[in-house]
Amino acid sequence: MKESSLKSIKDLPSTHVLGPGTPTCAGCGALGAIKIFCDILGEKTVFVNAAGCMTLLTVYPFTPFKGSWIYTAMASAPAGAQGVRDALDLLIRKGRLKPEEDLKVVVLTGDGTAYGMGLSSTSSAIYRGLDFIYICYDNEGYGNTGHQFSAATPHAARTATSKGPEGYQRYKKDLFAIWAAHRPAYVATVAGTEPLDLARKIEKAKDLKGSKLFIAFSPCPTGWYFEPAKTIEVGKLAVKTGVWPLKEYIDGKVAHTKVPLPKGKRPLVEEYLKIQGRFAHLFSPTRNENVLEKIQAGVDAYWESIV
Amino acid sequence: MYRIRFHARGGQGIKTASRILGTAFFLEGYEVQDSPRYGAERRGAPIFAYVRASKKIINERGIINKPDLVIVTDDSLLLLPIAGVLLGVTERTVLLIATDEATELWKKRLNLQGLVLSISTQAAVKGHAGLPLLGAACVGAAAQLVGAISKSALEEAIHDQLQPLGKVIVEESLAAAMTAYDQIEAYAGCTTEREDPSADSYESPNWIDLPFEDAGTSAPYIHAAATTLNVKTGVWRSLRPVIDLQQCNRCALCNSYCPDGVISLDAKGYPQIDYQHCKGCLICLAQCPLHAIDAIPEPGQEGEIS
Ligand SMILES: Cc1ncc(C[n+]2csc(CCOP(=O)(O)OP(=O)(O)O)c2C)c(N)n1
Ligand code: SF4
Ligand code: SF4
Ligand code: SF4
Ligand SMILES: [Mg+2]
Repeated sequence: MKESSLKSIKDLPSTHVLGPGTPTCAGCGALGAIKIFCDILGEKTVFVNAAGCMTLLTVYPFTPFKGSWIYTAMASAPAGAQGVRDALDLLIRKGRLKPEEDLKVVVLTGDGTAYGMGLSSTSSAIYRGLDFIYICYDNEGYGNTGHQFSAATPHAARTATSKGPEGYQRYKKDLFAIWAAHRPAYVATVAGTEPLDLARKIEKAKDLKGSKLFIAFSPCPTGWYFEPAKTIEVGKLAVKTGVWPLKEYIDGKVAHTKVPLPKGKRPLVEEYLKIQGRFAHLFSPTRNENVLEKIQAGVDAYWESIV
Repeated sequence: MYRIRFHARGGQGIKTASRILGTAFFLEGYEVQDSPRYGAERRGAPIFAYVRASKKIINERGIINKPDLVIVTDDSLLLLPIAGVLLGVTERTVLLIATDEATELWKKRLNLQGLVLSISTQAAVKGHAGLPLLGAACVGAAAQLVGAISKSALEEAIHDQLQPLGKVIVEESLAAAMTAYDQIEAYAGCTTEREDPSADSYESPNWIDLPFEDAGTSAPYIHAAATTLNVKTGVWRSLRPVIDLQQCNRCALCNSYCPDGVISLDAKGYPQIDYQHCKGCLICLAQCPLHAIDAIPEPGQEGEIS
């Protein structure tokens, strides 16, 4: 694999492909990630979008995309992508589209879809070797409908449907491992708040043949209850504390692209938790030492298992 | 019938505030309608809520065009034409603004004849997050202004609507609402009811008849690229980021981090903000390593967006 031409943040495109004027919340972390995806993928794309906050990017007669966009039901975006891919292939084969006019097929869904009801159609698409890119923007809940929990909601987070004293009781699904187990061309975890790492991974994967899948950590000021100005801080702390590992799967191997400091030197997970309203019940009126320790232990165990 | 219109920005809790006011009316034996109005836009965008209350059956529907009381929780909306704060405001309409500027100043600026009252955002009761509880304060003031809602009904309505959010929020909101209720006592009953409409005063809406077209014509295709350029999300801002180019070292971080992609770099690499679309999230301010970005209240100059 050749070395990336993107050495510093200054090498990232400074003019943007995605248009401004979208209806997403001020400070939306998902939009920040999608902006960079579009910058690196360019204009020759078809976005296949399942219901979620980002469907609102395109509300007739407005769209921020310069390429094409279609809407699918929540569970079926990869199936929609198969149809689009087949149509493009047929047009090229019949000579109605020049090969250089080909478009990249990009599925865009939230975590509600990716970790839940869209998993079956994604599994089938990877299994068939579908040549497409999947972007899951992970805001750890059903954002568009008022932030109910999803299978991506972290343990103890408060959502519209987990309001108990200790928040959400289940644990976040490991979608990276599930996707990687299908042995697709590429899988990565990324964050819009780490633009260089994100851009390098897209650049590396975009021209590979087969299924290329991304899970983009997407701090959500509205659903996670923090001020919009703090989106980058929240994302950076998730990486520094070890809550959100940045990694990639390629050629059968998993590699971490940014490793937090060793235990004892890296900031505690509570640094990340305490700046978000969705975890406020762990700190006030009294500190929930039990749950905080459990979350910290989970993160420590993850990094211990990485050699 | 009382007709009350709320103006706020998404995220300020006005949907709940209008519901509390409606509930308090209901507890006083009124028939009530309360309905928030917003589109696909999110936090920061101008939004509306309407409350109608009458002792008779309410036959009126839809948006309130002739309000008896207008409540504004964000004074930057007053100078924003698309927020429509002054729609149908006459000399008998009471205007209640959450603002730290003198009401006389607003009367002059907006050329208003009627009663203008204010709630100070600095003096308002603050919640545990340190932000003033303007929605609750406005509901408290409104309950006093209509002269038809007792403290006990207001209290019950707040309990009723905020209980799911926990004890702390209920108590904070009660404090904010009751403080405002007491502060505005001198104006009790200043907002008066207006006659319910009779059938012969009914004006039919401006329906537009759409001809039946085949799917190829009527399906919502967008043929142009990046048409959201026409949506001026700059009106969402209540604070404006301003870059001091003297202090900027052209690191381009603000350009990379702005989620909306509204910071461009000029030929020399200096950042420029597109104020027509900047939503005012202030990520750029928080991330600038040289603290070269400041925030000033909107509107920068009266009526100005861009
Ligand atoms: C089959 C189906 N069930 C429910 C819905 C309603 N719905 C629309 S968006 C949404 C939330 C999706 O969550 P996620 O995929 O995480 O995206 P986000 O809203 O967080 O952007 C739901 C439940 C739907 N559109 N289709
Ligand atoms: S709710 Fe969250 S993910 Fe959805 S648009 Fe708002 S900030 Fe973005
Ligand atoms: S982040 Fe600050 S120093 Fe860097 S380009 Fe922007 S304004 Fe200039
Ligand atoms: S405040 Fe700054 S980061 Fe936020 S939209 Fe405006 S220019 Fe972009
Ligand atoms: Mg989601």
